[in-house]
Amino acid sequence: MAFLEIQDLTKSFGGIQAVDHCTFSVEQGSITALIGPNGAGKTTVFNLITGLIKPDSGKVLFEGREITAKKPNQITRAGISRTFQISRDLGEMTVLENLVVQSPTRGFLDLFQGSILNHEYEKAMELLDFVGITRLAHEKAKKLSYGQKKLMEFAAVLMTEPKLVMLDEPAGGVNPALLEDIVARIELLNSRGLTFLIVEHNMDVVMNLCSPVVVMAYGKVIAQGKPQEIQANPIVLEAYLGEG
Amino acid sequence: MSAAANAKTELQSPGLPGSASKPARKWFLAALLIALLLFPLTNLVSGSMNYVLFMMLYIFMYIAMASSWNIIGGYTGYTSLGHNVFFAIGAYFSGVMLVYFKISPYLTAPLAGLLAMGVGLLVGVISLRTRGPAFIISTVAMILLVKITFDNWDYIGGSNGLSLPIPDLDVTISKFPPYYAMLLLAVGAVYLSYRIRHSKFGLGLRAISQDETKAEVAGINTNYYKILAFAISALFVGMAGSIWGYYLTYLRPNIFLTVLMAAQLVLMTLLGGKGTVAGPVVGAVVFILANEFFVSQLGFTELNIVATGVLMIVVLLFFPEGIVGTLKERGKLPQFLDWE
Ligand SMILES: Nc1ncnc2c1ncn2[C@@H]1O[C@H](COP(=O)(O)OP(=O)(O)OP(=O)(O)O)[C@@H](O)[C@H]1O
Ligand SMILES: [Mg+2]
Repeated sequence: MAFLEIQDLTKSFGGIQAVDHCTFSVEQGSITALIGPNGAGKTTVFNLITGLIKPDSGKVLFEGREITAKKPNQITRAGISRTFQISRDLGEMTVLENLVVQSPTRGFLDLFQGSILNHEYEKAMELLDFVGITRLAHEKAKKLSYGQKKLMEFAAVLMTEPKLVMLDEPAGGVNPALLEDIVARIELLNSRGLTFLIVEHNMDVVMNLCSPVVVMAYGKVIAQGKPQEIQANPIVLEAYLGEG
Repeated sequence: MSAAANAKTELQSPGLPGSASKPARKWFLAALLIALLLFPLTNLVSGSMNYVLFMMLYIFMYIAMASSWNIIGGYTGYTSLGHNVFFAIGAYFSGVMLVYFKISPYLTAPLAGLLAMGVGLLVGVISLRTRGPAFIISTVAMILLVKITFDNWDYIGGSNGLSLPIPDLDVTISKFPPYYAMLLLAVGAVYLSYRIRHSKFGLGLRAISQDETKAEVAGINTNYYKILAFAISALFVGMAGSIWGYYLTYLRPNIFLTVLMAAQLVLMTLLGGKGTVAGPVVGAVVFILANEFFVSQLGFTELNIVATGVLMIVVLLFFPEGIVGTLKERGKLPQFLDWE
């Protein structure tokens, strides 16, 4: 029984078969990459896993339990956190609030506690420190640069104590120095046991950070395996060349 | 580092953030409350303050309603154009309890509020499946639906309406009960709004207003939050209706169930600053006083409506986020008005 199992997922938008009988799994403790040419269906798979859209058929199992019909907030609370390809911030709220809004509440009365509890404040500041943007804690999120927003989102997904973190193009539009930072953070968290599923176009990042690598094209999984195997796989090369 | 240190001291008392660090606000609010509590007594001396008392209780009523509307319309970002339905429900419920069961509206007002909240819950479950313009239309439809029902419900007077017994009080003190009742509602509604603004619930509502998908993925049960916000926003509106109906002593669907009345709540909240605690208060005061001034100058003609509309446009031109919202954004909000 794998940690996260995607079984035969299918989703079409009108005439476009965005995800086509897609099957793969993510092992606990791995940093699994999901790659493929533009439009391969990677983001759609993310949306299906996190419940933002419902599949036409197929299912998603997390820790052995089916989560296909669950709502996104339930899936997040079950332990799956994600970032978005184009970072989505709550711009009118402070960076600190962007983090704390993710922390779970239990029961009705919990809702009417102060918006930021002491232990949440401490945890959020620790995470901001971890990604190196503590000084921005009280800025409105909309004032942040693109890279800073990515760091904020990265810190924010960790607020929920996730078991699985899904990152949609963490390196996209990020400068090389910052990219090194992010990669180092991912490695550190993974060494402490956190599982990652990462969509990424930057092949250096994929090949150095991730294993296994799952390759999608036209909504289907066309290959999976260790990075070296994938690099040498003619089907994969063709999928990428065919696009270019 | 001082900003962070500041936030930490605020966190010592999560319920009342920053109250210790904003003395001007504390003293202003305490003084204002005492003045408002004592003010009606001037009528015992001069006996000529009835008009002023009326204006004040009318403003209190709208402060209570606009602050409540702000919970769903401001914090959550769902513009309801049907909130007077809750007002009508409150008025009719207490009216019926008075006419048929001889129980004073001052006693049944809390129940009226809870009833309005219950209806809000049911309506919310359905209409909050939509968003944007579709949601607005669904709330307008709610007005029409309730109006047709009330028009045809003989027990509550149908379209002819329901006459309530007139309270038997000396004219110098006749405005006292509604004055104090509305003051209580205004204070209660603003306090509720303030508490929500500083709660986890409020944080979630603000997240919903900015990016609902993001809020949901952050782990917020957005449906539950929205429905709860809608229901809570009906509570004080229902109670206000109950007191106001008794004050008017006459209930009729075509007085209580017009879109214009719901629109006024929206306009005054926008004027003051939606999504802020003080905005609906400032908005209600400015809107009602301006409207009253125009009526006194121009009479009850269409002109006073035009004048109020022009004022709205001019203010929003210079204060696009409303008076309180824009001053706050520019860092020019006087401390006594900073209730965030
Ligand atoms: N909401 C939608 N409505 C219609 N079509 C969609 C929708 N979302 C995705 N698609 C289509 O589905 C296909 C897969 O898109 P998806 O975003 O999953 O690709 P991707 O692998 O993430 O691509 P990229 O690397 O460019 O981000 C594309 O053809 C896209 O146009
Ligand atoms: Mg994508």
